Formats: sequence, structure tokens, C-alpha cells
Amino acid sequence: MKNNGDGFNKDNFKRLVDGELPWEEVKKVIRMDPKDANRFEKYIEILQEKVTWDDRILLRISDHLYIVLKDDDNRIVKCDCGYELGDYRVNWKLNCRVYVRDTDEAIAEVITVPEARHNTELVEMREFYCPGCLALLGVEVVPQGYPPIFEMFPDLDSFYREWLNDPLPDENPEWFEDKTIEQTAKWAKEV
Amino acid sequence: MGICIQGSTLKEIVAERERLFAETGCAYGLKKLELVEKDPAKFMRFQMRLVASCINSRESAKLISANPMSMVQGELLFMLANAEGDVISASYGLAGHIQCMPFIIKNIAELDFEDNPGIEKGDIFSCNDPMYGPPHNADCYTWMPVFYEGELVSWTVGLNHIVDVGGIQPGGLGVVSPNIFTDGFTYPPTKTGANFKQHKWWELHWKRRTRTEMFNVLDDKMRAAGITSLHDRILEIIDEFGVDYYRQGMKEIIERERRILVERIKSQAVPGKYRYLQLSAVNYKGTLGKLWPNSNRNWLIHKTGELNIRPDGTLLTDLEGLTSEGEFHANAYEPAVRMLTSLGMWPMFAYTETINSSLLYMTDWNIPPGSMFNPQNPYAGTVMGLGVIAGYIFLFHNCLSQAFFSRGFLEETFPADGTAGGYGAAGTLEDGFQWAGGDMSLITCQSQAGNPFHDGFDSSVCSPNPASDIGETEVVEFLLPTQVHLGKKLIPDYCGHGKFRGGLGIGTLQMVNKPGRSLILNAFAATDSMGACAMGRNGGYPGANDIVVFVNDTNIREIIEKESDYPRDFVEIREWMEEGKLTAGDVQIYKGPTPSIPCRDGDLFAIAAGSKGGWGDALERKYELIENDIELDWITRETSKTVYGVIVNDEGKVDKDASDQLRKEMFEKRLERSMDAKDWWKQERDKVLEKGWHEDVKNMYADCLKYNKFKNEFFGMWQLPDDYRIPGYKEE
Repeated sequence: MKNNGDGFNKDNFKRLVDGELPWEEVKKVIRMDPKDANRFEKYIEILQEKVTWDDRILLRISDHLYIVLKDDDNRIVKCDCGYELGDYRVNWKLNCRVYVRDTDEAIAEVITVPEARHNTELVEMREFYCPGCLALLGVEVVPQGYPPIFEMFPDLDSFYREWLNDPLPDENPEWFEDKTIEQTAKWAKEV
Repeated sequence: MGICIQGSTLKEIVAERERLFAETGCAYGLKKLELVEKDPAKFMRFQMRLVASCINSRESAKLISANPMSMVQGELLFMLANAEGDVISASYGLAGHIQCMPFIIKNIAELDFEDNPGIEKGDIFSCNDPMYGPPHNADCYTWMPVFYEGELVSWTVGLNHIVDVGGIQPGGLGVVSPNIFTDGFTYPPTKTGANFKQHKWWELHWKRRTRTEMFNVLDDKMRAAGITSLHDRILEIIDEFGVDYYRQGMKEIIERERRILVERIKSQAVPGKYRYLQLSAVNYKGTLGKLWPNSNRNWLIHKTGELNIRPDGTLLTDLEGLTSEGEFHANAYEPAVRMLTSLGMWPMFAYTETINSSLLYMTDWNIPPGSMFNPQNPYAGTVMGLGVIAGYIFLFHNCLSQAFFSRGFLEETFPADGTAGGYGAAGTLEDGFQWAGGDMSLITCQSQAGNPFHDGFDSSVCSPNPASDIGETEVVEFLLPTQVHLGKKLIPDYCGHGKFRGGLGIGTLQMVNKPGRSLILNAFAATDSMGACAMGRNGGYPGANDIVVFVNDTNIREIIEKESDYPRDFVEIREWMEEGKLTAGDVQIYKGPTPSIPCRDGDLFAIAAGSKGGWGDALERKYELIENDIELDWITRETSKTVYGVIVNDEGKVDKDASDQLRKEMFEKRLERSMDAKDWWKQERDKVLEKGWHEDVKNMYADCLKYNKFKNEFFGMWQLPDDYRIPGYKEE
């Protein structure tokens, strides 16, 4: 399918986002050449219409989570339920509720083929829930003691300035500095 | 006087290629694509002629091979490289090997092959030694120079995965080998033929140093025939287009496609850092005994990675924190890493008019010296480093899927997990005939993981291998005469669950049939009981573990004689045994590599792999998808209830009210049994300070903390005192 300028229309895009676009239609989108240049703008528009709050979405980082511009000078992670998980430079998992499956019985609830379960002597399964809506946001299968994995840390300023030609108003090199350890340092003082 | 253009030496033109790229950022310093711009139609015709020639060579040559992996599973490739070693075009097949050829040519240039043994028209060169470019010794390269008017203009290259490498275990995928001397037949770059023919002595090496002489000799002839025919086709193309056009056109292909790849990343991804982790294991403890004391231990392999999508559209993959090199089979070198991981890049963004070396010009790697993919011991075992590298294919699938998802290109997401199963076999039949072989069918024919808008398709793709087809069972049975398939099927519930679940894993069950004097099987299950990935996607669960089951002393022959059906996979083995219908002297379940297992007539051997992860929260899965799962027997009623919170009635319909209520209770349960991250962190930190972990975990941390990046992350996360230390292997 050649891009005729309009490209991928918004209604079909919404259906794709909702998991309702038939596979035959999805294949046409896969074959688009070139892809629609304004895809990201349309995406943000659709997502902004879906959420119930007004903060500007800068980036969607998972099914439920968004990096939003808060009060014009802060960038935080926010769940679509409205719960705020803090500075986006801190691994959002550290602001979740956590449940650890570290026994065969607990793993059996989610892996029902017994032979296919993990060796719980070596690894545990961690689940990270949104404290607001309790949606399961992330799953890790890691050895005990493994630092929670900071799955994605976007370089938002480069993205908006260099790739979208639309620089963000609050550009600052500090926005691309991982601050996770600052949060654990604060917690350590309470220990 | 060199053999290359205007008397340059091979070493000089390879160095010049690197200088031009370093100084300009463009392949061969090409700021302008003159041939492309002047006549794009002619250029396309030129490029397609090169591709067609490679495919033609592959399709003709493979009929010479007797190796099922080449004939029916696509484990071969024919390539055309320019004089500098960049692959310009290739057949379909084992596409990743394009990444290795530039390293091989650079190595023979630096070894002064031009002076000794010399590089002349009709010469044939061979190599499978990973130190010089090939990824492991099962992947055998054969190549030939193409001269035009006395100057080297190209190389034609053939490659395939052979059945047996002559290592301490049968097959080409050994999972025990402490060093290069136990890896099997490994040859550095060697001139093995002249005047378009292999030397006779070369054939003797295959006969004396590997178990499957017939397959391997024929495979060698296949590669030599393919590169010779490609050589002749290329000379015709040069005659048609002119040698200047030919030389310049090859360079423009690389530069044009480098630009396409960079542009694709910039237009579909989001710059930033993306993390990846997969775990696996090498379990030698108790297997190697006193003969190799440094190998008589287990390793938990830490496959960490960070994909940096840089603002200029290029990629840097940082492996700092990867497990250190060891006296095991799983070390590797940079070409192997680039080779196999490119199989995650082709489908995600690196698809162009042809597959070629352009990826090398926009991907960088940090592989710390001393890590298992940059070993400093020249005798490091590498026979199955690819088994560990394979996990990194999925770094690209998963990290780029995340990036494309964030950018709004949901249709381009293609997450995947690293799963695989396979086995090698060797035996002596009753009449004294010695044979060996291997089967990689469970590396192929894998399901897709769930993505943001639909479930993973079942048995639809194969990332580590280009042929998604599992191959013909009849061919496998013909070549592995003791292995009779009782079943090959998808296994219900065997997937990572999620709002969109992963596709189901596939399993086979074989009966050992008249093994004769002896039969040894050794198998592997790539996930090593630690899951298909350490990270689920967006709340989905990662794929479940690969499995190998051996059942000895069975009554299966009686069952086959008397019953109308019989078990077909490992789940059915369990069920038949629970019902008392199948009896067995012993059942051994492995979730990783197995030792060498002696087999007897009527033993059962089951293997299953390819369970892929889900996307999103399973409690958000739509009821109609569950009904479909139940109708097709993909998901059992029990699993729909315990994992998805969905009650299905006897008619296969969802009881909506009861399911709504059950899901409400499951959400409440999440609240009840979870804790605030801060409290969990305090609890976990205490455990880190106590270090009361399994010794394999402790050894893994002790090793990875030698690398600053992981050390900073670990110490920072748990706020550890400076004098915190985890004793390493045998340090306690």
C-alpha cells in the first residue's frame, strides 16, 4: 500500500491501539511505504483522548504508563488510572506495589504446565502493580537480589528536538540522567 | 605489487575502507550515490542480478548436500563479497553470516595470505575457526576469489551448518567442551583447493576428524560447487555492466542501504536506553570430574544488555556485565555476536533490497575483554557460544518493539523470547554401521510472542533460523534411523500468558527404535529453567521453559500393539503414567542441556520448546479470546480460571458475571499480598547484605561485579557499603 498522503487513518489507528483492527488490515499498515510521517502526533492525539486527565503526554512507555509534562516543569510517569509514579528518571518499578513468586506453588498460578516452571532456587518472579488500579505493569524473572530492571529510559530532548523538530520547552541535559539511585539513597537514610 | 585495484594489496584496501568510514561516516566515503542517482532502474537491475546469482547458486548447490539441515531447514547461504570483504548480496538462507565475512577477509589480509599461501584465480579457501570470523565450528565457510583482468574484484562464498563436528559429543551443537581441543575439528583459514577444485587431502580430514563423513564431504562439495558457479555468473555480470560500474555499484549498495537503516530507526523508534536480560546456565558440576578440574562447576550466565538508540540513528549495544569467559563450550568472538544477533535486526528494521554488510556501518558493540564473548584465552571453547548469543537476538526484538510501540508504530512490533531445543545422536547399528546426526527442528517453527494488538501466531516464525519450516519428519527419520516420531504438536497452556498471549510451544515425542549395539543422545533446552526471558512485556508473562524428558524401560511397544492411541508429547507421557497406562523404569526431566544419555529400544525421548511470552496484564484479556482458546483447546479451563480469572461453562461460553466477580477478587488479592516497593526494597536489601543465595547465584554476582557498570548499578540499587564483597568461585 503506497502512502497517499493521509496514510493510516485515525479510526483504524484507534482500533489498532485497542487491539481491534483485523489482521488483514494490520498487514496493509505493515506494508505502507513510506509510513505516515505524522504517526507520532496522531498517536499522542488518540492517547490524550483516551485518558481521563489533562497532563500533556510526552511518550507512552507501556500499556498503562505515560511520561507526562506536569505543571510545565516536571516530567513524571503517570498511569492511565491517574496514579502518579514520580520522576520518569527513576525506575517506575520502585514506586509500585510488589509481589514476589518465589515458590513452586506461587509460580504454578501463572505457569500451569508443571514441567515448564522455573527453578525457584535460582530465580524468582516479581510482579509490579500500579498502586492506583492494581494493573500488572511489569514481570521480572531474576535471581534473588537482582536490581529491578529499568526497562526504558528515553532521551526525550533529543527525540523532540532532533527527530520531531519540535523541542520541548523545558530542555535540559539533566533530563537524560538516571536518578534511580538517588531514590534508593533516600530510602537508605531511613534504614 | 598487490592483487587488488591498480596494484594495491588486500591489506591496503581493507585499511582504506576503514579509514574512509572513520573519516566521513559514510561507507567508502561516499557522500554521493552517483550510479543510483544517474539511472536508478539500471542500478536496480544490477543489484537484482547479483541477488539472483546468489540464489541460483544456492538452489543448484544444495541438491548435492545430503545434510537435512541444508536440504530442508535452510541452514546454508551463498554470498557475494567485494574485494574488501563487504557482503554485497546473498541468497536467502542463514542470513546472519553476512556479518562474519568482512572479519574473515580482514583476517586473511592481516595474515598476509596474499604473499603466502597466495591468492590466485581458482583457489579455494576454507575456515570454521571462530577466532578468524566464523561463529562456531559447525558453520563451515568456503570461498573463492574473483579476478577480472588480473585484479581481485570479489569473493564468492558458501556456508552451511554441518551435522557433526567431531567434538567430544556427537552433532554440531555440543553442550560440553572445556576448550578448543574438545570442540572438534576446527580449522583456521586454509587454502584447501586450486583450479576450482578441492584438494584430495582435504576430503581425508572430513573422513578422519568427524563422525558424519558422508554428509560433511558432500557438504564441502556443495559449497565448492556453489561458489564456482557463482564465480562464473559474476564474471558474466561484470562483462555486461563493466568492471568500473561493478566496483562502484557494490560500494553504493552498502552506503545507500546504510542510509535507509539509519533513517528507519529515526523515523520509527525513540532514542534512549533500553535494557534487556536473559539468564541461562552451564552445568558441568559432576559431569567432567577430575579430568578438567576448572570446568567441574556450574555457571549461571548473566546475559545483560543495553541497547542505546543514539540521536544520530545508529545503535550501540553494551554488554558490560556479561559473564566472564570460562572453560566451557559457550565462549564466542565478536563476529559470532554480530552474526547471530543480526537475525533480530533483519526483521525489526534491517530489511532492504538485499541483505548485505550495511548493518556493520550503523551498529557498534561494547564487549568487554575477558567476558565470554571476548575471551582472552586463545584456546577458549566456542562450539556452542551461539547458544548463549541466541538470547541476544531477542534484545533487538524486544527493545525495538518497545521503541516502536512508544513511537506509535504498533504494527512493527515483533517481540520474541529466546527458546530452543535440539539434540545430537551417535550410535552403532546391529550390523556395525556407525552413524551420527543431529536435529535442530525445535529451533525452527516457533510461535510468536504476544504483541500490543494480538496474540502470537502459533508455529509461524523462526528468528534464529531463516526457514520457519520445521523440516520434513520423514527426512529426519531417514537420516536418524533410530528415532521414530510418535508426535509433533502444539501443547495446550504452554505459553507466556497476557492480555495478548504468546503462541504455544511445540513438542515432539520420539521412540527409540532398534538402536543396535549402542545409541547416545545428548539434548539441550535453551532456557535452562530460568524462563525464556527475564522480562515480561508490559505486564505479560515471559515464555515458559524448554523441556527434555527421557523415559526408559517403557511398555510403549505393547501400547502401540494393543491400543488405538499413544502419548504424543511430554504432557501426555505424564498423564498416561498417572493413569497407569504407560509404565517406565525411570523418568528424567531436564530443563537445560542433558548429559550423554545411553538409549535402548522402546525408550521415549520428548523435547519441547518455543513457548513465547505474552503482552499486557492477563486479567485484561478479552472474554471472546478466551472462548476461542477453549474451543481450539489451546488453553484449558483450569488455566483460564487461575491465570485469566475467567470461568467457562460446559458449552464453552464465558460466564460473564462469575468471571467479573472472580477478576475483582483477583485484583483484591493483588492488593492483599503485595507490598509497597519501599518496604520490599528494605527487605530485599537485607537479603543482599546476608548473601544467603544459592551458590550459582552468588558466583554469578561475584563475577559480574568485576565490571563497573553492573557494580555501580548493584551497589547503587541496594546502597551497599564500600567494603561489601561477594566471594567468588572457590574464594570462600
